[in-house]
Amino acid sequence: MEQRKLSRREMLRVLMLGSGAAALAACGAAPSAEPTAAPAEPTAGSAAPAATAPAAVSQTGSTVTITYWGSFSGALGEAEQAMVQRFNESQSDVQVEYQFQGSYEETAQKFTAGLQANTIPDVILLSDVWWFGFYVAGAIAELDALAQQAGVDFADYEPVLLNEGKRRDKQFWIPFARSTPLFYYNKDIWAEAGLPDRAPETWAEFSEWAPQLVQRDGDTLTRAAFMHPNGASYIAWLFQGVTWQHGGQYSQPDFTMTMTDPNTLRAAQFYQDTANSLGWAGLSADINKDFIGGVAASMLASTGGLAGITAQAQFPVGVGFLPKETAFGCPTGGAGLAIPSGTPDEKKLAAMTYIAFATNPEQAGIWSRDTGYMPVRISTKQSPEMTAFFEANPNFKTAVDQLPLTRAQDAARVFVRNGDQIIGRGLERIVVNGEAPSAVFAEINDELTSAAEPILQDLKAVEG
Amino acid sequence: MTLSDDILLSRPVESAELRRATPRWRLAGYAAMILAVLVVGLPVYWTLIAAFKESREIYSIPPSWLPLRPTFANFAAAWEAAPFGRYYLNSFITTFFGVAAEVTLAVLSAYALAFLRFPRKDLVFLLLLAALMVPVEITIVPNYLTIARLGWINSYAGIIVPGAAIAYGTFLLRQAFLVLPYEVIEAARVDGAGHMRTLLSVVIPIAQPALVTMGLLSLVAKWNDFLWPLIVTNTSDMRTLPIGIYWLRNSEGVINWGVVMAGSLFLIIPVMIVFLWVQRYIVDGIAAGAVKG
Repeated sequence: MEQRKLSRREMLRVLMLGSGAAALAACGAAPSAEPTAAPAEPTAGSAAPAATAPAAVSQTGSTVTITYWGSFSGALGEAEQAMVQRFNESQSDVQVEYQFQGSYEETAQKFTAGLQANTIPDVILLSDVWWFGFYVAGAIAELDALAQQAGVDFADYEPVLLNEGKRRDKQFWIPFARSTPLFYYNKDIWAEAGLPDRAPETWAEFSEWAPQLVQRDGDTLTRAAFMHPNGASYIAWLFQGVTWQHGGQYSQPDFTMTMTDPNTLRAAQFYQDTANSLGWAGLSADINKDFIGGVAASMLASTGGLAGITAQAQFPVGVGFLPKETAFGCPTGGAGLAIPSGTPDEKKLAAMTYIAFATNPEQAGIWSRDTGYMPVRISTKQSPEMTAFFEANPNFKTAVDQLPLTRAQDAARVFVRNGDQIIGRGLERIVVNGEAPSAVFAEINDELTSAAEPILQDLKAVEG
Repeated sequence: MTLSDDILLSRPVESAELRRATPRWRLAGYAAMILAVLVVGLPVYWTLIAAFKESREIYSIPPSWLPLRPTFANFAAAWEAAPFGRYYLNSFITTFFGVAAEVTLAVLSAYALAFLRFPRKDLVFLLLLAALMVPVEITIVPNYLTIARLGWINSYAGIIVPGAAIAYGTFLLRQAFLVLPYEVIEAARVDGAGHMRTLLSVVIPIAQPALVTMGLLSLVAKWNDFLWPLIVTNTSDMRTLPIGIYWLRNSEGVINWGVVMAGSLFLIIPVMIVFLWVQRYIVDGIAAGAVKG
């Protein structure tokens, strides 16, 4: 099989992408251009006569062993291993080996280096901000033909989630562990303030409620009505929704930056006011901790944390749709699966077989119940197990109900390298330092525009 | 070697001036010491108590300074969450051979740089200094590619070999060898000792504190190394302890810190034991003067 190798120039591009994101890998791992990678000699040593001809998978009695690189650890890692085990036990043609490669950032960097050293996996988990860079570099394969062979019914996938992984009508990235933001509130504090037991409909309504939720000791806020995360904990993801709610956006699909759009600025001004002139919100590096500890009455946070927060909090946790302003707006997030273009053909089909299994209606339901990620299949929601789960976990139902209303994020955050952090730093300046949104976002607009240039060039080369 | 008198490692810190210091300065000294102990000790203390706390307690604000309901559950949960027995074995193997290789190479090269005469020695030393300035992260890509081409991905050799020679160790030992009392080495030469004999019977015993220090630093660095082993291994059975702890964290949502801290103690305790055992050799070496004053 002709393995696609990156040219030196493409390689550098991806590496640079890597260095940016590494900085935000909050885990303190090394900064710059490190990649890393590893291997896919998937079959090495195991029983698989992987050398059989393409597509031989289903006929011969041989087993193809494929390697799967993922970023799930802890409870999520156990759920992922259980998924792989169910797959391996369900059939004998394909054996999947799940290999944990660190955070999303570390996995992507390891993949980058692996491309160079020709040690790549057969299936890889890539987060929303990573897959596009590999697509532009030609490192991940087009999946439509494979999906057809594996009998995948794309019509049953949540369209919002599926379409995000599409370029020029071809599928490159299949939704798997997807999350969205939710509005979380502390029901005890809500009751204490005499508020109705629900999330606010609009930000205007919340602004009326907020003063009753705060506690002060002199001039210092000891309990905030609302907590913002900082740049490293992805404020730009949550603000994405707030921007849309105000009628603004980060950028247009053609990468024209719109950070200075009056409505985008209005949203930024609102964020600043919450912390400054209105003074009921704070900004913190770990909003989950503050919310669970009771020093923040509410927050916007990922659905991915719902189960953990509910388990740790010593008060009943309430959730709701994101508040509206002039409109509703809520982004998606999380990670999906891709197949490297360098994977040999017979393994590509085996890899697709696994992806088809992991996202089939039944497995998508198990995964969703185990982890708190959104079910990626439409029919999953009607399954009896899911109905029972919704009854036991009404908060999770809320998260799933919000899903069809979400939309894919703006290119400025997910497709521009380091876009998330560029916007995040700007928001920190606005919220923490109190700098004028118009001045800060004008700078950010320029920074994003120049950061987008190389991507646009590459994109032109790939898509014409 | 006129420098040697000034740079002696064993130079006593306490001087006549200090002894005459006013109580106020003495007090300030103690305050500084207490501060240093707090800064260094608090995170360790926090790790320790968090390992015995229930998860809810860790997240409660204000924090508690002693576990309200001490529990061992975190240790059991951590041990079961990943094959820690295997991680221990891998960590022992890679650390042991890694340190052995690093110390051996550092001793031999430092001896050469300190005592042998050969052309362009200064250039070699300069190269060494240059290597000292290169951040590890920079070398990761070339190292990875080299190891991949050797076919050493996911093997002990892949973990150990790139870290087998560290410029820092050679540099540290060379400096230590240079300040050894040259008379003793000369005496050995006069008695007919060759290089190996001089190294083993004279240089190493006198430089023991420096050697032990360097060995300890190397041990801690290799034992705690995270990035390289993560990069160069793929399967769970080749992974080391630090990666095991990372596995205990949740990638999204709420992290169960109690379990992570219990896992961290798995990592810390062996190094602490080694350190407590080895530290007396540092002191011994200093005390055992080789030259009569």
